[in-house]
Parts: sequence; C-alpha cells; structure tokens
Amino acid sequence: MVVLNFTLSEEGVAVLHDALACMFKFSDDVCLEARKDKLTLSTLNLSKSAYICFSFAVNRFFARYNFEGTPQHRDRFFCQLYIRSLLTIFRARPTSGDQRDRDTSIERCDVAIDDGVGRKSRLVARVSFRNGITASHSLPYEVKTPVHAKFNGDEARNHWAISSRTLRQLMDHFSPGIELLDINTDDENRIVNFTCFTEKVQKRGVVNNEAVLKKPLHTNIAVEMDEFDDVEVENKLHIIISVKDFRAILQHAQMTSGALTANYSHPGRPLKLSYSADGVLCEFILMTVGEKTALVQKHKNPQKNAAKAPAPQLDSTSHRASSVASENRSNPTPSTSRPPQNAIQTRPRQPAFEIRPSPMPPPTTARSSGLFVDQTEEDEQWEPVNPDEEEEEDDESGRLGWNNTNEPNPSSIRIGSYLSRQAEAQPEPPEHLVSGIDPTQRLEEVRRFGLFSD
Amino acid sequence: MEGLGAGPGPPILRAVASSTRPLYQLLKAIHFTNKIHVEITENGLRFAADHARVMQGVAHWNKGLFTSYTTNLPSPAPREGDEDDDDEEDEPPSVTFQVSLPAVLETLQIFGAADAAARQARADVDPYRSNLRNYRADAFSNQTLGMSGTCAISYAREGEPFSIVLDEAGVTTTCNLTTYIPEAPDDIPFDIQDISFKIITSARWLLDALTELAPTSPEKLTIAASKREPFLRLSSSGGPLGSSSVDFAKGRDLLETFSVGGRWVQTFKFDIIKSACEAMRIASKVSLRGDGQGVLSMQFMVEVEGSGPSFLDFRFVPYAVCDDDEDEDEEDEEAEPGRLEM
Repeated sequence: MVVLNFTLSEEGVAVLHDALACMFKFSDDVCLEARKDKLTLSTLNLSKSAYICFSFAVNRFFARYNFEGTPQHRDRFFCQLYIRSLLTIFRARPTSGDQRDRDTSIERCDVAIDDGVGRKSRLVARVSFRNGITASHSLPYEVKTPVHAKFNGDEARNHWAISSRTLRQLMDHFSPGIELLDINTDDENRIVNFTCFTEKVQKRGVVNNEAVLKKPLHTNIAVEMDEFDDVEVENKLHIIISVKDFRAILQHAQMTSGALTANYSHPGRPLKLSYSADGVLCEFILMTVGEKTALVQKHKNPQKNAAKAPAPQLDSTSHRASSVASENRSNPTPSTSRPPQNAIQTRPRQPAFEIRPSPMPPPTTARSSGLFVDQTEEDEQWEPVNPDEEEEEDDESGRLGWNNTNEPNPSSIRIGSYLSRQAEAQPEPPEHLVSGIDPTQRLEEVRRFGLFSD
Repeated sequence: MEGLGAGPGPPILRAVASSTRPLYQLLKAIHFTNKIHVEITENGLRFAADHARVMQGVAHWNKGLFTSYTTNLPSPAPREGDEDDDDEEDEPPSVTFQVSLPAVLETLQIFGAADAAARQARADVDPYRSNLRNYRADAFSNQTLGMSGTCAISYAREGEPFSIVLDEAGVTTTCNLTTYIPEAPDDIPFDIQDISFKIITSARWLLDALTELAPTSPEKLTIAASKREPFLRLSSSGGPLGSSSVDFAKGRDLLETFSVGGRWVQTFKFDIIKSACEAMRIASKVSLRGDGQGVLSMQFMVEVEGSGPSFLDFRFVPYAVCDDDEDEDEEDEEAEPGRLEM
C-alpha cells in the first residue's frame, strides 16, 4: 500500500538535496514526517545540541503530493532514513550540454513510500532523466518517532533579522580553527558584534601542566545595526554558539535570498535561526553556551566600575594575571587578590597575543571593538571561572531539554532543565590539575602550599 | 637500440608510434590485472587480461596506430586474417607472451618527462603563475598530447624483453620489460551462433547507469533484456543501503540496435562489471551481447584520431543460476586458482 507519494521537479530535487546536504553536516540520518499539508525533514545531532528542521509546504513545493496514511497513523507518517543514500539519489547529474538529446539531467523524480502488512517497507525514488533513462532506488527505512526540539517563542525576546547573504559574507572573516561565536550588541555604538574565538588549549609543559590557548586569536566583526532589518536585543547580552553549526547553516542559508531571523533569550537557553524560501521553512535550534547565574551576578559590579572608570594604567600587570587565569586552568581558586608576580612565576612563557580571560567576556564598555581585547580590565573582572565553563561547554546537551513526546508542555521542560543545570553547577575536576591541589579546595587550604604570597 | 637488432635475423616485432596516448588509453581500459597476455599478429598487438577466469578484457593495438609496423612471425605462412575483431577463432599463427601491465602503462607515461622539467623551469621564472595544481599537465602539454617524440616497440624473439624506446627532445628512454611464458588461458567461450540478444547503445549511457547503481555499493548486478518494456534493465542488489535499478525504457531513443530473441536475465558480480568503467568512459559506443549460456560480451568502440576505431572486448561469466547462494560462492571458489595465475 502506498502511504505517500510525491513528485519533484528538477529544481525541487536540487532544493531537497541542498537541505539534506545541510543536515548531513549535523547528523547521519534524517526523520521524514509526512502530513496532509506538509512534509518535514528533521534531525538532531549526536550531542543533541542542534536540531534542524525543514518543512516543505505541499502546495508550493511539490509538483504532486498525495498522502494516504496508514491504518495506525491516519494523520501522519514518519520514518528515519540514511542521509547518505538520499544524497546520492537526489544529487545533480552532470549535464552534457553539447548534445541536446544526450541530456542526462533530471526531468522529474517520483518518490513513493510503500508500507503495510506483508509488504517490504521501502522508500522508492524513481528518477527520470531527460534522455529517457529511469533509475529507481528503493531504500529501507526505520519507523521511528521523530524527536522535535521545543522552542519557546515567548521566552525568546531577543531577536534580529539580517539578509542571509550579508551574514554569509561576514563569515569569510572568521579565522580558521575557531570554535565559538559570541554574538552581542552594543546599543551605544549601534553595533552588533560577532566575536569568534576558541577555548581549545594545548599542553606545553609536561611537568607543570602548563597550557596555552591553541589559537590565541579573537576576531571581532562589528556590524552596524542598520544592516539588520529588525534588532531587538538586550544590551550587552552575550550569546555563544558553535561556529561549526553556524557555518553549516549559513552555507545553506546563502542559497536563499531571504532574511535570516534569530530568536533567543539568554545564555544556556536555545537559540533559533530560521528563514524560508519558496515554500520551504528552515528552522535551526541551537543550544547556546551557558554561564552560571552566580557568575553573572559577580560580574555585574566590576562591569559597572569598569564602565565608569577604565584604568589604562593598570593594564600590563593585571592583564598578565588574566592571561594566566585563562591559560592555566589548573588554578581553581577564585582569588581576586592574587598578586601578579606570583602568576608570572607559574607561567614562564608569554603568549604572543593577549588573551581574553574567560570565554564569557565581561561586557564592559571599555572593550574596544578592535581585533583584540583591550588591556584595561581590572582584576575583578577575570575571575577564573574556567573550570566551570569548560564543564558547561561539554555538557550543553544536558540542558537542552528536548521533548520527545511532542506534547506542548514547556513548563515541565523548564523545570527539568533547571534541575539539570543545578546538577552541573557542581564543579567537576578540571582537566589540568596542579599537582596536589584539589580543584574544590578552599582558598585558605591552598594558601599554605605557599603558592600565593599574601 | 643497436643492440636490439644484433641477434640473428630481424626481430619478431618492430613498431614505431608517434603518439602514445591512444596506446595508453586502450591499455588503461583493461587495467584490472597485473599481467596481461600479449599476442603479436600481422595486424597488430592483442592484449588479453583475465580476472579469475570470470572476466576477460581484450584490447587491440591496431596496426593503424603505428607509423610503421613490421613483424617477422616465425610461422612460415601466416594466413591473411581480416581485421575484424569479432572472430578471434580464425587467427593467423602468432607469438604470445606475458608482460606486466602496470609496467607497460608506466612506461607509456614516461613521455612528457622533459615537459615536466620545462614546466618547472617556467614556474620558476614566473612567480605569478599559480602553483595551484601545478603538477597537472595542462591541455597542451606533450604528456596530454603524447606526441612530442617517438615510441619504438620491439620484441626480438622468445625470451627477450619487450622493449619500449621513447625518444623525446633528444632524451632517449629505453625500457626493457621482462616477458613471461604465456599461460595460454582459453578465452571465455562466447557462442556467436547462439546470441540471445544484441543491443548497441552509447557507452556513456551504460556508464551513467552503473554510476547510478554504484552508491548503494551492491554486490550483484542483474542485467535483463526483454522484448517488452523495460527493454533493458540493470538492477543492483545485495548492497547495505538498498537496491536500485536503471531502465532503458524509451528504447527507441536510447538503443541504436535492439534485437532480443527472448527474455535474457543474468546476474554478475558488480565489481567485475565495474572494472569495465574505464572502457565505457573512453568508448563512444557499446555493443552488449548475451549468449545462450549466459556469457555477456561487451564490445566497445573507441574512436582514435588519425586511425579507424579501435575495439575493446570484455566478456563476463555470470553467477550460476541456482536457488542457493552456496553454489554461487562455489563458483567464486573455483575461480580462485585462476587468480593465482595472474
């Protein structure tokens, strides 16, 4: 029994291929979900930190679409397929343009899903070429309930929209080897900053576990708010997402000429990127790198101070200390009064670039919009929060709170996510340990090792 | 070069070609084994490659590809055979030996070595020249055209090396390839009297069809020819990602010649058919024939500039038609000793 069949034009095949190629950058398999009025392809990546969903409007995208439904599921049909095999079917065939009758391009593609009792469950794609050859592929599939990510639109008050092409052009400036992208706004200067950086550390010394940033380069791209169609973002809100995911999305988004919209609430909560073109709605829900609430509070005061009175004369020493903090994560002590000379002892090598202390940049107005972080930060600003943040990065998935049941019940999800966040807040042993010091030890206990001169 | 002719009597073969490109292309198409049988006849050289006795590929270097071609075959009265490749049974006496195919291919590519040096020199003086893909020969390089010098092929007598002398821009490269005693494998029998179907189509279509089937990494390929639609169907099975099939349903446009006695369905190992892909790439037309026993013959017509068309012959033995898979495996096992011969 044919559950579903539809026909795609040559352009439709190309659009479908592009969508699948984009998904393939996140996951190996895709969930197909068919309803009377739309066909949805969705996937969740392995670490459950990114969710991709393409919805194809039946009346606009397909040349023909017929959904029958199964006795079990009258309203919808779903299955899971390998993206790799779909990609080879829907790939564009090379056109030999020289001879008109030798055209090997796709004329149309009929897809049918055959299912039922006593039948082989197969997705059959029949590709007809202009030269008269037809190829039919039948793929086995797995009946599996699709997982959909929930996104609370009411919560996500921050939003902006920009032409996807413009955004794609900005991406050219991203340096290679970076991992994270920090999107933040500056209302005073009317700019939106895209800062990309990496937190990957490289161990240098065997003895003292000295670690340095692998790519000590921050690239900040400041975009004037006029470039955006619609910006409504809390001032100086830093939202951090994975650059790899962002790249993959923009790669696809640039093919559509429309505007890309981003919606988000605050760090640690999902961010949604969406755009639509020709009956295809593309939605991406990405987990953002979170920060501890307490941390935010701690940051608050010094930020204000720094904003009011930036102290350029403090720069060299304080900055050195901050470099240590980010490099040498082994030091868990939240010491704000650590004298800089000690820090110098523990770190014989001076990095070539000045490193911003923490992945969550303290949003000071004193920060320049240049390539590198300014040196006017005070000691209070760079509290070594790295062990926690590292852990948070690793554990993004835990907080995601995807709802498998597909029932709109956001409140329970919220609670669950908060609970898991609390669990995370307990510091795990960081990667790089100073021998003998437990990362959870109190400062008083550590002092007696003589690491810090009071 | 003087040494070659020093023996008693003229050498069995002496041939000179101005371009190695067609020679290389034709041999490349049967590059699926290590050793090939070379047969020297009055009309040219015949190279036969054999894979596990289930696949055979034959390439011909027609006399016409050479600017001069002289043979001195030992048999006293070699009959005048015709140039048609179809009837191999009716061949004049000939000299046969084996030679390493990768070595021959490598040798034929030596042309252009001086060219590469010149290109390097040019790159050195011109710093603005992109060093991107500098290693690739451009369209007009001598290596691509294969016509900068001369290529002399000779074979003195039995036991002597197969010698290829390349002369290019004053640089002479002499390659003496060891010859081996022939194993005299019989050709895969193909009964021309009992042909079940004959289809001539563009080699390009066949290649497209196989490309279409290949992504599912199938194990078997079934070729079915029938009088009604679909006239010709290639279908793959045994792959982990599902199965596929390609129909040549609009027969009139696609198939140049189409004569089918009855329904003919045979299954082959996909990989051995895929070995013929290089031939499909360079050929313009392919003639598919199947005989009553199920042997498939593919004949490719390769247009070579300056001389007439050259032909490449492939023959494939199908899987035994049995209900059990074991028998098919057995056939493979039987074929194993043949693999050792290579």
